Amino acid sequence: MEILKVENASKIYKDNGIAVEALKNIDLSIQKGEFLVIAGPSGSGKTTLLNLLGSLDVPSSGKIFLEGEELSKKTKKELSQMRLAKLGFVFQAYNLIPVLTAIENIEFPLMLRGVQERTRRQKALEIMRELGIAELAKKKPNQMSGGQQQRVAVARAIVNEPIIVLADEPTANLDSVAADNLLDLMERMNREKNITFVFSSHDLQVIQRGRRLISLKDGSIIDDKICE
Amino acid sequence: MIFKIAWRNIWRNKRRSIIILTSIAIGLGFTMLYDCIVRGSVQQMLDNAINSHTSHLQINNAGFNSNKIITNNISHSDSIINKVASLPFIKYYSPRVLNFGMITSAANTSGITLVGIEPEKERNVTIIHKSLTKGTYFSTNPNEILIGEKLAEKLEVDLNDKLVLVSSATDGSVSSEMFRVVGIFKTNSSEFDKAYVYVPIKTAQKMLLLGDNISQIAAITDKPENINTYKSILQSKLDYHFEIFTYQELLPLLIYYVQIANDSMLVMYIIIGTAVLFGIINTLLMSVFERVHEFGVLMSIGMRNGKVFRMVIEEAFILSFVGTIIGFCLGLIGYYLLSIYGLDLSVFSESLSAFGMSTILYPKLDLGVIINSIFIIPITAILGAIYPALKAIKLQPTEAMRYV
Repeated sequence: MEILKVENASKIYKDNGIAVEALKNIDLSIQKGEFLVIAGPSGSGKTTLLNLLGSLDVPSSGKIFLEGEELSKKTKKELSQMRLAKLGFVFQAYNLIPVLTAIENIEFPLMLRGVQERTRRQKALEIMRELGIAELAKKKPNQMSGGQQQRVAVARAIVNEPIIVLADEPTANLDSVAADNLLDLMERMNREKNITFVFSSHDLQVIQRGRRLISLKDGSIIDDKICE
Repeated sequence: MIFKIAWRNIWRNKRRSIIILTSIAIGLGFTMLYDCIVRGSVQQMLDNAINSHTSHLQINNAGFNSNKIITNNISHSDSIINKVASLPFIKYYSPRVLNFGMITSAANTSGITLVGIEPEKERNVTIIHKSLTKGTYFSTNPNEILIGEKLAEKLEVDLNDKLVLVSSATDGSVSSEMFRVVGIFKTNSSEFDKAYVYVPIKTAQKMLLLGDNISQIAAITDKPENINTYKSILQSKLDYHFEIFTYQELLPLLIYYVQIANDSMLVMYIIIGTAVLFGIINTLLMSVFERVHEFGVLMSIGMRNGKVFRMVIEEAFILSFVGTIIGFCLGLIGYYLLSIYGLDLSVFSESLSAFGMSTILYPKLDLGVIINSIFIIPITAILGAIYPALKAIKLQPTEAMRYV
């Protein structure tokens, strides 16, 4: 089942008045339950593509559909609502809210959706137990290691039961053991909960774990293959 | 949770928050205290004027207030006095005889206002009996006189000295009477002390050929705030030959001064509020610029502009509210201490008494002070937060997340 579709999307940035084409005529279809890695060297357009998929940015031309709905037709408010309900984000720098504890960070998207305090606390705890990070509940980001923070970030990304999680170089700041653990966790979520994961990475460790690999170079897809 | 985040955000930069909190608290505390002192001092001036002579209500014959001639007096005074005394809101009353005259001592002469009073009744209406610095209040001797300290200085007299009072009687003749000084008073108004002398009403009536007639009835009511209603009731009980004046009508300059003092204090609060406004803009702008990346993340995960806006506004509200509470408590402590010990300005006693002001000022805390101090700062702080909040919601998630 197709959940995300990109049709002939291009993105042009202005850099000091000079137009830079970050993405060129991208066509892409993502199916439910995929574990997909977008790979490519720095400046190849991975993050730009992920931003377009996550409706954080709009293409200069072309169309993007999420569950059949065209994103460019949505208002800013509708896009916010859609991101909250249907998308989960994991960032390279974890990006947890520094003033909140781990459990509060996980609760945060639930709060934004208006879930009652008691229910959201229960749900956040449930996910923390599932991910094996329950003991971190009361810790603030600065009291956790990078790996722990990224696990909490994953929990935050999946707590709203999104249809797709977009992870921008999630292991870039982790050592190999922590990166492996994180990938194990994401793989398990993908397998058990059928959550679709889309990664951007140039890390071989991540690339090897992807079940579909899209290679980008200079803003164009140069390869799209299913990995065994 | 937005409130929780806002609260914790404030304490991320403790020093900055403490500086702005302190400036709000100290600014507000002192402004509030100053407001209390100003309100207290103008209230004291008003009270001094009411208590030294004016009273809450004055009942005269029509035209007497604008032209105080002795021939314009109240005849059949007993029935009028009884009518006034029978009203439930009249707590105390005092019939008076008033006339202009000259007073002469062996050393000097001065123009005065002669006030004939029933000593026991006047005791309840004014504070002359409490203002005696020398001598005693009236005894049974009919030719006793109370004069002010300033007048005594001018006439160069002291207790038991003789004075001759000259005034025109109702038949147009010039009447004179000799009095002995039994008491010297000092009120908060040096002008009053120079001009007013008190004698027993019977003596004044006899001297001025008034019979039982009087010039005026001064009255104290139970609730001065209802004075205009009381005036209407009283007016309906008395016929048109009488005119009734409230203290507000008799002391228009003082009432105007009270109004000006209240308005000027509002301006003070607005000045403090403006300072807070720019302090809040500065603090929150710095805070927003420090968190651009974080706002990008919050927006990426689906936080809508409304909630981002609310969070910044709540930060301003918390800062201003906490500052206001601390400032209000500081103001209250200052008010409490000053209401016990007073603010002693006796070094300026000469100039203060020229304006009818007391030398020890006591603050007054009323609803106006509370409303001004509790609402103005948080309101201006919220206004000040609008600009930083707009800055925050105008951020684009992707650009904000690239911001380091």
